[in-house]
Amino acid sequence: MRSQVYEWSNVGGNSTRRTAGDAGVGTVASGVDLDIFIGGQGNNITKPAETTATQFVVIEDVSCSPQLAGALQIRINTTDYFQNPDVTDQAGIPGLASPYPRGAQNASTTSFTPDTSTDDNTALLASFNLYPDVYVLPGQTWTVLYRPISAAVAATDGVAAFVKYTLYDGPDALIANKLLEMGVTVNPNNVDWYKRTLIEQQSAAAMAATAAAANGGGQ
Amino acid sequence: MRSQVYEWDAGRDTAASATSTGSALSIFIGGRGNNITKPAETTATQFVVIEDIGITPTAYHGATGSSGTYRGLRHDTAAECSGPRAYIQVRINTTDYFLDPDNIGNDGIPGSAAPYPRSVFFQPSFNLYPDVYVLPGQTWDVLVTHYSASGFAASTASAAAGEMQAFVKYTLYDGPDALIANKLLEMGVSVNPGNVDWYKRTLISGASAAPLA
Repeated sequence: MRSQVYEWSNVGGNSTRRTAGDAGVGTVASGVDLDIFIGGQGNNITKPAETTATQFVVIEDVSCSPQLAGALQIRINTTDYFQNPDVTDQAGIPGLASPYPRGAQNASTTSFTPDTSTDDNTALLASFNLYPDVYVLPGQTWTVLYRPISAAVAATDGVAAFVKYTLYDGPDALIANKLLEMGVTVNPNNVDWYKRTLIEQQSAAAMAATAAAANGGGQ
Repeated sequence: MRSQVYEWDAGRDTAASATSTGSALSIFIGGRGNNITKPAETTATQFVVIEDIGITPTAYHGATGSSGTYRGLRHDTAAECSGPRAYIQVRINTTDYFLDPDNIGNDGIPGSAAPYPRSVFFQPSFNLYPDVYVLPGQTWDVLVTHYSASGFAASTASAAAGEMQAFVKYTLYDGPDALIANKLLEMGVSVNPGNVDWYKRTLISGASAAPLA
């Protein structure tokens, strides 16, 4: 199991990988979801994020730039995770509630120019904690969508988004599935606990077999 | 067992510059900033647990049109951000620890998620948990990739002291503690000072109980 992160920003316009001396920024339409993995703006990855049969992903945190009233949504297959109380679509977690970086300037509805901003000393903290975590089961496709709500991200606005997740692969993914069946939270501590339980059971079985052999092969 | 840190400053000795942008630079032996004399590796009786990493953050904002600073970070006027756009990756032998969701190795943790130094304006979004284990006999490295030379002093495009810094916190277990760390790993128990001490107490309790039995 490995702790992983993904950071997206529109710096560099449209390129799969960050490059030295990236110049300019990509534009993002207001009120429109942009896939931060394969949306074609900023740094992207080569294919949609999906788990193989031997992988299990736990998304533990999402955050984005607070300016322009940006928000982040998690999508598993075709289902959006965050919904309105009337079960209609919403933009997701606002950057104001989960700012990136933490301590970012409070520029809730507009872009800001650092040299002239009067709010330079504000430092936003997280109001939101993604708990319970979001599970991506083996074989599922997942993505994270960024949406500026109040205004489009112009070609002069730098914005960023951040995802923190833990990748369980191989035997750890099997254990994660088992924990899920048992109704136990999937986290590194519980995966280790399950491993210890298995080892203790094996040790106990081996000791019982040895004792049985010492007693003449049982009754 | 000993708590250890390593701090790297791109502005010390041979400073990092525009020529090093976009390439992964070892903070131990990369030839830029302060370095050590040989690659970091564990002996047969050492076990290293990397517990935290951090690097100079980047702030994203609107156009500046000037070469000033924002929250102590120099503007990159071409890219609407301030700071070096730096990332930090851990490599064990030849394997990079941090991957993109498409399972391809990435640049690592962004400084905005794991800032060094931490401040009111730049607080961590990332916690390196589970820790990274470097087993006996392995070589390990910490790599920095930065994409903005404009984040350095505008006149020279070379890093001045303090403009890009990285930090690694790890615990070194050696001698019998390394053996116990290996044992804990086999048992599926997290390797940390508390658990190593717990295992020692268990051994001592077992040894004390044996003569009484």
